[in-house]
Amino acid sequence: MLKGFTRKYKPLEVVSEEELEAIHRGALDVLETTGVRVEHDRALKLFAKNDCQVDFEEKRVRIPPWLVEDCLRKCPSNYVAKARDPKYDLRIGGNTFYFLQGMGMRYVDLDTWETRPATVKEHREAMIVADALDNMHFAGAYEFYMDRAGIPSCMVMLENLASGIRNSAKAEHFGYSLDCEKFAIKMAKELGINLQGELGMASPLTFYAEVVEATFSYAEAGFPLSPATVFTIAAEGPATLAASAVLANAQMMAHIVMGQLIKPGIAISIQHGIKPMDMKRGSPRYGAVSKALTTVMVNQLLRRYAIPSFSTAGFTSTSKKIDFQCGYEKATGTLISALSGGNLHVFHGGSSFELLYSPVLSILDDDIAGWVGRFLEGVVVNDETLAINLINEVGPIPGHYLNREHTRKWWNKEHFLPKAADREVYPVWIKTGKKDTLALAKERMEAILATHKPKPLTSGEEQIVEDMLKEARGYYRKKGLISDEEWVVYLKALESS
Amino acid sequence: METEILENLKKAVVEYNCEGATSWARKAVEEKVDPIKALNVLTEAIRQIGDGFEKGELWLPDLIGAAESMQSATPILNEELKRAGGEKQTLGTVVAGAVFGDIHSIGITMVSTLLTAAGFEVHTLGVNISAEQFIEAIKKYKADILAMSALLTMTAPEQKRVIDFLKKEGIRDKVKVMVGGGSINADFAKAIGADGYDPTAPGAVRLARKLIGG
Repeated sequence: MLKGFTRKYKPLEVVSEEELEAIHRGALDVLETTGVRVEHDRALKLFAKNDCQVDFEEKRVRIPPWLVEDCLRKCPSNYVAKARDPKYDLRIGGNTFYFLQGMGMRYVDLDTWETRPATVKEHREAMIVADALDNMHFAGAYEFYMDRAGIPSCMVMLENLASGIRNSAKAEHFGYSLDCEKFAIKMAKELGINLQGELGMASPLTFYAEVVEATFSYAEAGFPLSPATVFTIAAEGPATLAASAVLANAQMMAHIVMGQLIKPGIAISIQHGIKPMDMKRGSPRYGAVSKALTTVMVNQLLRRYAIPSFSTAGFTSTSKKIDFQCGYEKATGTLISALSGGNLHVFHGGSSFELLYSPVLSILDDDIAGWVGRFLEGVVVNDETLAINLINEVGPIPGHYLNREHTRKWWNKEHFLPKAADREVYPVWIKTGKKDTLALAKERMEAILATHKPKPLTSGEEQIVEDMLKEARGYYRKKGLISDEEWVVYLKALESS
Repeated sequence: METEILENLKKAVVEYNCEGATSWARKAVEEKVDPIKALNVLTEAIRQIGDGFEKGELWLPDLIGAAESMQSATPILNEELKRAGGEKQTLGTVVAGAVFGDIHSIGITMVSTLLTAAGFEVHTLGVNISAEQFIEAIKKYKADILAMSALLTMTAPEQKRVIDFLKKEGIRDKVKVMVGGGSINADFAKAIGADGYDPTAPGAVRLARKLIGG
């Protein structure tokens, strides 16, 4: 089991208990009065059977408050993400904070900053880096490089997951599209791991059929669910932060009810990402301070319900480069997510909205993750760390602490040391070629690829992965989602790896 | 009286007042104001808002608010124009929607609203629209433009499938295709055989005008 980071002190809050109660009651009102649209007959029947008011014509489900609160109580306060190597298992919930690999559709050239589809080799290398990084606890192979050279779109998520399983022994999560989750779930069961199901509701208050079907698939497999309440403020959600919290809460509670009705006691973490819209461009402002504020409010709600939080503030930046803006937007959002009680935080490697992913950025982000994690761990106060006797013993100058056993024992434990940051003194920096953090991170990536060997699959495990890909390829070929022309290109892309 | 009605109609649009726009459009019909004059006033109003947006003085909620106010008045005036034997004024007909597999509606909502305000007749099909549904609508409404959106890389290739389907149905040359969405860029649009791409909703209106030669 990976320990991750433990928050050792009271979490950050931005609304009072009374205000939180008003948000909770507001969300219950929305679910009872307006309800949610659910475009899935089986789910509609399930809601109806459990005392919800269901309009089958309008596909509208109104949920009574008692049922919502009953389902909130059924959610476990924590659960285990089962990895291929048990040493990477994660217990998600409580005061624990884990970092999860980020997302970004395309590979970015770090000289031109232009993006393009990623190759098989580039995905593999990014996963080896992910496996090597100390502070990336949860891998997310399926969700980065969704734009893959030569891979048909229906196979991308499965090819990404297979690459993740082969090149990292860390826990994985998965989404849904065109039934691909069914192949992934089957494979995960055979491998003896679980896949946290990422489930996206459409805001405002709408469940399309595909996400409901995936909710059934993951819940029936007994895998943890991670419903997402994600929207742009003042477009897909209301303009004020308080109303955004009400809508976010109504949406996540509706999905919680659905999950608990399908499988009582199923583990759930809530993914939340509520950010303002850029009113000039119509695009989301990921690094905005209001996203940090909504994150804290949702974390407060989830703590009240004792349901794990999957936070996203700081998971990306709108900067197109790995630069100052990218650094501060990612670091500040992440710090707020951690301080306010997030449990799982999507982070490493993504920028430029959700457009780019870079393993070099992952390496730099791992330093931010280490910094934030160290801050969460707080301060150890006991006789040894207070060291009163030592201070009295050393006394005034010429006394110092460099030669003390206490220093040798504690300096490295107490003080986080970033691995890619530029910490060089000026004359040496000049002499060694004026390297910046980007250059240092590139060097670290080369070193990782030259030395890090992820735990290999056994031949039986490899067969399970290959069988899954083979079955899915056949399924999509038969459905006409991989044309003959695409098939030839696909095979060539796989061979070239 | 006519001046007062036209001034108030314009005022309603620039103040994002849907009810006002509806009632002043009705008043214009009652008082037999030339519907073409009234429609021109609406165009002036939306242009004023558009200029404010371009200058950075107004924002998307202003554009959308004014566009919806305008839409509260336009059908009433168009109906009157038709009754009087005039031709409904439209820059062209657009069928719009997010492609199959994509459930993100906000982009297509913004584009549809702004295209309507610009003078296009827009039929918004919604999200998760299959190639067959797009083709059916294009034929039904005799569309000049097909506007497709896909937010995700996973769904972007669906835009190509729709274009391929248009070719198969023999109507590719009858309709201009514009594409948009978070995962799309100009290279992608060109590669799949679309006629145009723009990353923003106001830009999509300029593109639509260009595509129909307006």
